[in-house]
Amino acid sequence: MVSRRVFVKSGGLALVSFGLDPLFLARAAFASPAPGHAPSGPILVCLFQRGAVDGLNMIVPHGDRIYYEERPRIAVPATDVIDLDGYFGLHPSLAPLKPLWDDKTLAVIHAAGSPDSSRSHFDAQDYMETGTPGSKTTPDGWLNRYCQHDREHADTPFHAVAFGPELPRILAGSAPALAIDDLQAFGLRAAGAGARDKVTRAFEALYQGGSTGLVASSSQEGFEAVRMLSGIDPASYTPANGASYPAGKLGRSLKEIAQLIKADLGLRVAFADVTGWDTHVNQGASEGQLAARLTDFAGSLAAFMRDLGDRRGDVVLLTMSEFGRTIRENGSSGTDHGHATAMLVLGGAVNGGKVLGRWPGLDPAQRFEGRDVAVTTDFRDLFGEVLARHLGAANLPAVFPGFAPDQARFPGAIRA
Amino acid sequence: MKLFPLIGALALVARTAPAQGPATLTPRDSALHALNRLAYGPRPGEVERVAGMGVLNWIDAQLQPDRIPDPVLAAKERAFPLLRMSRQDLADAYTAAQRARRARLADSMSRTAASPADPDPAAMTPEVRQARRLAGELQEVAVVRAALSERQLEEVMVDFWTNHFNVSLTKGADRFLLPDYVEHVIRPHALGKFRDLLIATARSPAMMFYLDNWESVAPGSEPPRGGGRRGAGGKARPQGINENYARELLELHTLGVDGGYTQDDVINVARVLTGWGITPPRQGADFAYRDWAHDRGAKVVMGVPYPAGGGEDEGRSLLSWLASQHATMHHVSRQLCARFVADDPPDGCVDDAVAAWERSDGDIREILRAIFHGPDFWAPANLNNKVKTPLEFLVSAVRAVSADPDSTPRLAQVVARLGEPLYQHVAPDGYPERQDDWVTSGALLARMNAAVAIAAGRLPGVTVDLDSVVPPAPDPDTLLDRINARVLGGAMSAHTRSVIRDELADLRDPAARRSFAVGLALGGPDFQKQ
Repeated sequence: MVSRRVFVKSGGLALVSFGLDPLFLARAAFASPAPGHAPSGPILVCLFQRGAVDGLNMIVPHGDRIYYEERPRIAVPATDVIDLDGYFGLHPSLAPLKPLWDDKTLAVIHAAGSPDSSRSHFDAQDYMETGTPGSKTTPDGWLNRYCQHDREHADTPFHAVAFGPELPRILAGSAPALAIDDLQAFGLRAAGAGARDKVTRAFEALYQGGSTGLVASSSQEGFEAVRMLSGIDPASYTPANGASYPAGKLGRSLKEIAQLIKADLGLRVAFADVTGWDTHVNQGASEGQLAARLTDFAGSLAAFMRDLGDRRGDVVLLTMSEFGRTIRENGSSGTDHGHATAMLVLGGAVNGGKVLGRWPGLDPAQRFEGRDVAVTTDFRDLFGEVLARHLGAANLPAVFPGFAPDQARFPGAIRA
Repeated sequence: MKLFPLIGALALVARTAPAQGPATLTPRDSALHALNRLAYGPRPGEVERVAGMGVLNWIDAQLQPDRIPDPVLAAKERAFPLLRMSRQDLADAYTAAQRARRARLADSMSRTAASPADPDPAAMTPEVRQARRLAGELQEVAVVRAALSERQLEEVMVDFWTNHFNVSLTKGADRFLLPDYVEHVIRPHALGKFRDLLIATARSPAMMFYLDNWESVAPGSEPPRGGGRRGAGGKARPQGINENYARELLELHTLGVDGGYTQDDVINVARVLTGWGITPPRQGADFAYRDWAHDRGAKVVMGVPYPAGGGEDEGRSLLSWLASQHATMHHVSRQLCARFVADDPPDGCVDDAVAAWERSDGDIREILRAIFHGPDFWAPANLNNKVKTPLEFLVSAVRAVSADPDSTPRLAQVVARLGEPLYQHVAPDGYPERQDDWVTSGALLARMNAAVAIAAGRLPGVTVDLDSVVPPAPDPDTLLDRINARVLGGAMSAHTRSVIRDELADLRDPAARRSFAVGLALGGPDFQKQ
């Protein structure tokens, strides 16, 4: 199979100058990517909680008296926590996720994070997206590097999609990736279907014979994507199984991801992000600021899994956040920048119903720099496991340069 | 006096570029090429004007921006209050926004059911709105200047150095430090000496905050009594050195990643620069040297000793030394050639630039002159071989139809939607120059939409009067002739022409026909290249 990323990586300008269109070859190499015909297969959805979510109030160690001692004003009372295993429990706003825990399609990895000690949102998000903690000059993101080295899956314009106005760091790089702000508006805009078809046809003709190299292949991918989307009519999508997405941006992003998955357009990796987790002041306990964000978060995730129905078996959704927050509440009834946090994995392939990873405890002697939850799962071990065991990634060292992923350190998020 | 640069330039042309210079191109082609590279593309009629005055004369004039009057832009700039704000005004706005944000967050307990569509409870205070407005103005003024300035090369170089010495609006106080950085650190030195530019960026509060040097202190150092326990960001007092700036200084700003330095050199550069800091934003966020934080021990950077007991001046001599290293000349010259000649520039033009750097002690004007007069700049293989960045694409489209931008941030928002939100590149390497980083299917579709919108007069933030650019034409061939000459600077390919001509067949209304054709021309493949 020849694809553009082979082409980009191995000096395929020669290929183009011989008149071979890599997209054409890719298309010829496997089944027609018309809607409903692209091969399905494993899909990874990454969700970034930007701003550093408070892992301790999301997945609450309600069995630990230190938690209550350190957070007299913002601890979630044990009576409100939805117990998971006697020690950890869900914040009450995460109630919509409890059925997923019960049917073992939700696992929690607690005390996960970066080996780098930075408490800067800016640096830590960058490290988590490039997959190279401590190095600021990595040019591409780890999800893009996965795509660069993915030899296992067919290449379509929808192989890698980020929901937002521009490509995030995590998908930046030489493998093609789409940034879609609004699925319904993707493509050329014009008043009415006739005018839209005309302007699309005209531009396609302009680019088909009038461009070479990357501009030619990328524009063809774009027109191909537009054609594929026009077959599925995103405007008239109705979620399945009575799923109801919350009205915010996250709900919309996940709904559009579900549409793409069900349309069988060849989606392999998707990315969305959600903000509002930087709770320095009055973050609240069972109710309040963080609770409101968690309500939107859990409602969106639960609707997504419900909407997917049978396709849950193909999909793993992985949440991440740049770091966690201080164990002790601060003087403003909030929390400051900490170290480890909790990450979630959802989906049919997930080794669910468990809190995974080694829990370091809240005891002052076990803390990172004397104040924060220590990181016991390097985020690369978790991400690497999901890539290897769910997507079948064969070359993890290329995805996480400078890091030697070791199966023995995988937290066990994916069922063997 | 005024004649000297011109004479010098002519002598240089005679020496380096005669045979393969623009002489092998038609005057129109060489004018279009120069306008594509030294400027943000031609405005209607400009190719003829530059060809008429002689392209080398135009280039020499662009290298002396102070002598180019710019009344239209000057009038436009009055619509941007940001340009009249001092650093103290900006610092005050920052502290007010910070205070308002905290107060609003504290108040948010009572409004727990915040609508998920508006997740940030701090979003809408007047102070925060003002902060956003200022960021929007900063971005818009960059687009407006790129579009309207007569001093096009100066604007191109401000953009180049802003990327080379990248600072991101997304990092806290930098939102308020950036206007001063662009205006008073980058712009005055854009065509000056590289050494002065380097030192100015190193001492700028924007860079100091962005790459954390203000937090870098000698291990074990303590501020004097009453010096406060909290730093400029309201965080706990920093402990020890922070290598962030030192590393990027060597890797990105000067020597380049293969510049021959080691991790020990990075640490010692950081030690040399300890004590270079800033006052807190509420006190103006000025450069401040704090002697107590300076590492007074002996250091060696790449073999150069810095004896024990040195102070603030160590940093200056280090930066001067870095600015004159061959690795720096080569690294920066290569980036300049990537901008002006080709994504992968030929060695010849890089060597010419380095030679000019050595001759002129790092005078950016002379380095550029050498590039523009070198054979590689004019080689046919290097014409139309670079894909425009989103900023270059949009601004060149605005110029191509003489669109008039307003002072709202809407045009800058279009640039952002095309993939290049100005001053928001998070990583210190700045926006990339290579086509691989800009050409994606979604980005190309977005450019087509923007082109159609501007031709139809529907692009937010600009007004377009197509009548003055492409007068109504009686038939498609005349229309296409006019669009080619007036909008595309004569660069329309035969393929583009025949496709557009076919598409016009079923359009009867002359105005619809014209705007459709202009939209296709600007959104088509010819106009993506420069």
